[in-house]
Amino acid sequence: MADLTIAIAGNPNSGKTTIFNALTGARQRVGNWPGVTVERKEGRLSYQNHSFQVIDLPGTYSLSSYSLEETIARNYIIDESPDVVLDIVDASNLQRNLYLSTQLIELGAPLVIALNMMDIAEEKGLEIDTKTLSVLLGVAIVPVVGRTGFGIDKLKATINDVALKSPQRRRIQIPYPHEIEEEIQAISEELANRSIAEDRLRWKSIKLLERDDTSINKLKQIKNSEIIINNIEDSIQHIETIYNDTSGAIISHARYGFIQGAIQECVRETKVTPRDYSRSIDKILTNRWLGLPVFALMMWIMFKITYDIGAYPTDWIDYGVTRLMNILNGMLPESMISSLLVDGVIGGVGAVAIFLPNIFILFFIITLFEDSGYMARVAFIMDRIMHAIGLHGKAFIPLLMGFGCNVPAIMGTRILETRRDRILTILLNPFMSCSARLPVYVLVAGAFFPTHAATVIFSLYLFGIVIAIASGKLFSKTILTGMSRPFVMELPQYQLPTVRSLLLHTWERGYVFIQKMGTVILVGSIIIWTLGYFPRNVTLSRDYSTEREEIRIWLEQKTVQIEQKFKESVTIGESQYTSTMIPFEKSESYQLLQSQRDSLRNSILYQYDEELTNLQYAEMAETMKQRWIGRVGRLLEPLVAPLGFTWREGVALFSGFVAKEIVVSTYGVLFGVGENVSEESRGVIESLRHSGMTPRVALGFLIFTLLYTPCLATVAAIKRETASWKYTIFSIGYSFTLAWLLAFIVFQLGSVFNWVS
Amino acid sequence: MVRKRFQSKSKVIPRHRISDKNLDKSRLCDLKPGEKARVVEIGGIERFRIRLMEMGILVNDTVELDKFAPLQDPMELIVKGYHLSLRRKDAAKICVDIISNDSD
Repeated sequence: MADLTIAIAGNPNSGKTTIFNALTGARQRVGNWPGVTVERKEGRLSYQNHSFQVIDLPGTYSLSSYSLEETIARNYIIDESPDVVLDIVDASNLQRNLYLSTQLIELGAPLVIALNMMDIAEEKGLEIDTKTLSVLLGVAIVPVVGRTGFGIDKLKATINDVALKSPQRRRIQIPYPHEIEEEIQAISEELANRSIAEDRLRWKSIKLLERDDTSINKLKQIKNSEIIINNIEDSIQHIETIYNDTSGAIISHARYGFIQGAIQECVRETKVTPRDYSRSIDKILTNRWLGLPVFALMMWIMFKITYDIGAYPTDWIDYGVTRLMNILNGMLPESMISSLLVDGVIGGVGAVAIFLPNIFILFFIITLFEDSGYMARVAFIMDRIMHAIGLHGKAFIPLLMGFGCNVPAIMGTRILETRRDRILTILLNPFMSCSARLPVYVLVAGAFFPTHAATVIFSLYLFGIVIAIASGKLFSKTILTGMSRPFVMELPQYQLPTVRSLLLHTWERGYVFIQKMGTVILVGSIIIWTLGYFPRNVTLSRDYSTEREEIRIWLEQKTVQIEQKFKESVTIGESQYTSTMIPFEKSESYQLLQSQRDSLRNSILYQYDEELTNLQYAEMAETMKQRWIGRVGRLLEPLVAPLGFTWREGVALFSGFVAKEIVVSTYGVLFGVGENVSEESRGVIESLRHSGMTPRVALGFLIFTLLYTPCLATVAAIKRETASWKYTIFSIGYSFTLAWLLAFIVFQLGSVFNWVS
Repeated sequence: MVRKRFQSKSKVIPRHRISDKNLDKSRLCDLKPGEKARVVEIGGIERFRIRLMEMGILVNDTVELDKFAPLQDPMELIVKGYHLSLRRKDAAKICVDIISNDSD
């Protein structure tokens, strides 16, 4: 039997997602709407042998075609004709929520209204007569409380009934003043007579009368539609002259008039003074003096939790990956396949898997901000600043998310209403230093600025923000002129999100990162491994194994010499020894000789270690230089030489284009410590210090890493979200140029003023 | 010819000018925190006006200014029992009659 479909519509913040979760359980799939990139959630519901496919439509306040979300919701209902459209209505905010319902009624959708948040409505002293409201609207209405699950069973039963079209329900029409009704009638007749449309005549006529862009454009594409378009324009003029307002506004007013009438009959307001706890919370959170400091504190706590608490699971993963690599290395015979598996796949992906805890914690906190209602306050607080760079306050949210990972953040720009705002936010997003760049900072700053690492890293984050602000100003004055959309934003009631929905949303977001790990980063790691593994036979300028042997012989000789010297001294000392009370072996002078010998031996051993390590690094460096990876690096060298970078940085940055995390593991491969992973990062730090890089070059390298072309996955996301190669290429070119220029300035100016020597 | 006429019309962004009789009225952005006002007329481009209506700001409705954001720009209004934020320059397009503050 074919599945029945349920589409869930409703205002943002009406509890749509909670109801969706309550209906479908954890069985849901997240994807995209075809062609566009608004999130599409799908789940399943079984009820009395019927299987329903449940689609979560984007949350909208209306069905005009002013935003992508509205267009999607509308087109889905029109084109896919779901068996039931479930409209989630916030009972505590009935008037505004019913505005969308009136349009769904007009659309002729098989509607069920879930009157959500009945508990809050009750607290507000609202008594809703759902039976009468149901009759007035001609729609089945079920009161529910999504968070507690109250009424969900009844809702399922009602959906089932409506899907099976039993019992037949009387459809109502939203009434308009008679002048408008006349025009609706006239347009409907014309559409029918010219066989332009057969169904939903009333809806289509109203939309045309409202000057709805989508509807008019559709009509324009039909042959010989000029006359009817002309007539519609006359109708609009007629109405507008009578009411002295635009047709859209008149129709909106009429809809609200209908809603007001219905509410007057069905809602009784008992006089209670509700505790507006949201308002109390906002007395602090958006307070004139406290708002910003509290927000800054929140951000600080967010990063603190993300990185400090994240450090523990990160260590466990690090330990696990290392153990796994060691075990596999011990089990498998040395071969190309085992190297590919251990060093390439596990090493490469493992280096990225380390960030999973950070990313999940960050997404968890951002989800908490969103689901609790704080995100809207963030937009409220930050709008003044964002507006200064030509953006909507809401744009702060995807930019903030960029600190976690640019990929989901760029996807998050969908919350913005206009294409211009979206593109601007997308272009600025890569300058938000994502968590993948952090390990590079930690490594390089740790190696070259060990005492000021935290300050350097913090400054980098700040610098990224400064660059974003400057670029935003530049872009909005040049390539993306035009006004930002009106800022009309709901500040929803604060609410305690359920743990379940928090975890679910966190997982959905984090999953994107895991997908990226499984695909782009896996392929990238294998490519980097291949480049570092072939060609196998390299001719080296020195015979390293002989030199190693020489050093070993030197150590042996030295050891013997020291022992001999010690013995001689002991003989001399013994002959001069006079005391008979204590044997010479226990005397102070003997112990002195002994400790002298030990310290000599230790310093020789230390020297030996040092030289052996140097030799090993030199060998690795020379080997790598001759491998393909080194050839690529040397090819890039002229490009990065003005920045003080060597071929090694060239390779690291090149591979960082695949994913910035790989910069670290590339260094691991380049220095040959990838095979000896037990102290991987310490090994790389040592190697870096030995590589001849200076702190000044390191600073340039850090700035380059911060700014340059985001990773492949980000590029893919930019392409998907802007749907334009032009902007994608622009983004790559702009960030690369900027990175190069600034690293150049740091290096050259640094050499002039002798900064950070 | 006919087509041309329609196209030229649709290219012009529909905009509503505040009528002369309301030009002297207060604007929503003039409110002080805690003050209430009745909406008289809404100007601006169609998209903005419709958006306000969708969000529940209609002529003859009462709105209350709750507060301004810390940086003084968007303002927080209470409309139909819920909270809505609006920029000052957009609020300047809304003519209102301030209702004398008799509550509290």
